Amino acid sequence: MRSLFKILLIIFVVLGFSLLLTLASEYFIPGMEVRPLAIFYLSTTLNPWMQNLTANSPEAVTAIVWDYRGLDTLFETAVFYLALIAGISLARGISLKANPGKEGGLSVIVKSVTKITAPMIIAVGASIGLHGHLTPGGGFQGGATIAVIPLLIIIVFSIYYLLNRRVTKENMLMLRSIGLVGIGVTALAAFLTGLVLGESAYVFQNMAKPTSPVTFPATLNGFLISGSLWFFNFFEMIAVAAGFTIAFLLLTYPSRSEGEEK
Amino acid sequence: MISAETLIYLFMALAGIGSTVSVYYAVIEKDLIKAVIYSAIQSTFYALLYFLLMAPDIVLVYLPVAVGLIPGVLILLISKTERVEQDEESV
Repeated sequence: MRSLFKILLIIFVVLGFSLLLTLASEYFIPGMEVRPLAIFYLSTTLNPWMQNLTANSPEAVTAIVWDYRGLDTLFETAVFYLALIAGISLARGISLKANPGKEGGLSVIVKSVTKITAPMIIAVGASIGLHGHLTPGGGFQGGATIAVIPLLIIIVFSIYYLLNRRVTKENMLMLRSIGLVGIGVTALAAFLTGLVLGESAYVFQNMAKPTSPVTFPATLNGFLISGSLWFFNFFEMIAVAAGFTIAFLLLTYPSRSEGEEK
Repeated sequence: MISAETLIYLFMALAGIGSTVSVYYAVIEKDLIKAVIYSAIQSTFYALLYFLLMAPDIVLVYLPVAVGLIPGVLILLISKTERVEQDEESV
């Protein structure tokens, strides 16, 4: 009874604040019309009539994240990488002590369902990541979706199922480094090409600009890949999926052998 | 007849209240596994809110992280400690 009273009180307080906010929003929340900054972004993300002033991507959010403010996103990725480095250094010296030949896990029904759904989830994650320049989504979203699978497999099958299939900390660290190196190379690609060709070009350049003619291809074999955006999304997806997998492996490494007392 | 915009705001209000109630239960619950599940329910309501606020990119990153990965990691961590939170007097 008391907890019901508390919940009702919380709901009324929330509703009261909502009413206040609704009344106040008449005065300071902008209206439905598109603001000048949004007009600038919307008219430059996909604009086939001005090839020198466009990101060639119909997805404005991905274009902003990896093109307009790509350097910010690079540092966000670096922060995630450093956090993972800290986690790995905390877990140094942990080694497998239990019998790796033994595979436990949940019942056959759960395992069968997981075997069916795991490829589906990976396919959805890959499509979110690789279509990030066309539809809502992107590298981090796709990578995080794919990273659900190792967690699911660890819980349903046991960690040895992953380790016996070479999903080890070392291999995942290598995959993650490949993703990060790919992001770095994509960021520098236009600049290095400009150096070789003797043209002016910028770090994190995607499409050709009026002052620098170096450009990524906007389409590949007729498909819109939006230049560097597809590569950034692809490598970010690999890096995020591998990074989360390392974290799960470290958290679930059995630190004592079977039957040993806690 | 209710207009579509009002209906969307109505859904947002319901999702907001639902998330508030599940946060309350997540805070008072002594069984930590149940608290994690209440927190996942709250995240689902938030994902619905983001969707109604027309931010599909945020929904796509919020769903796997807040409903899949964080509860998974928390359950793994709880399995290394004790499942039930104890009162300070009984410790």
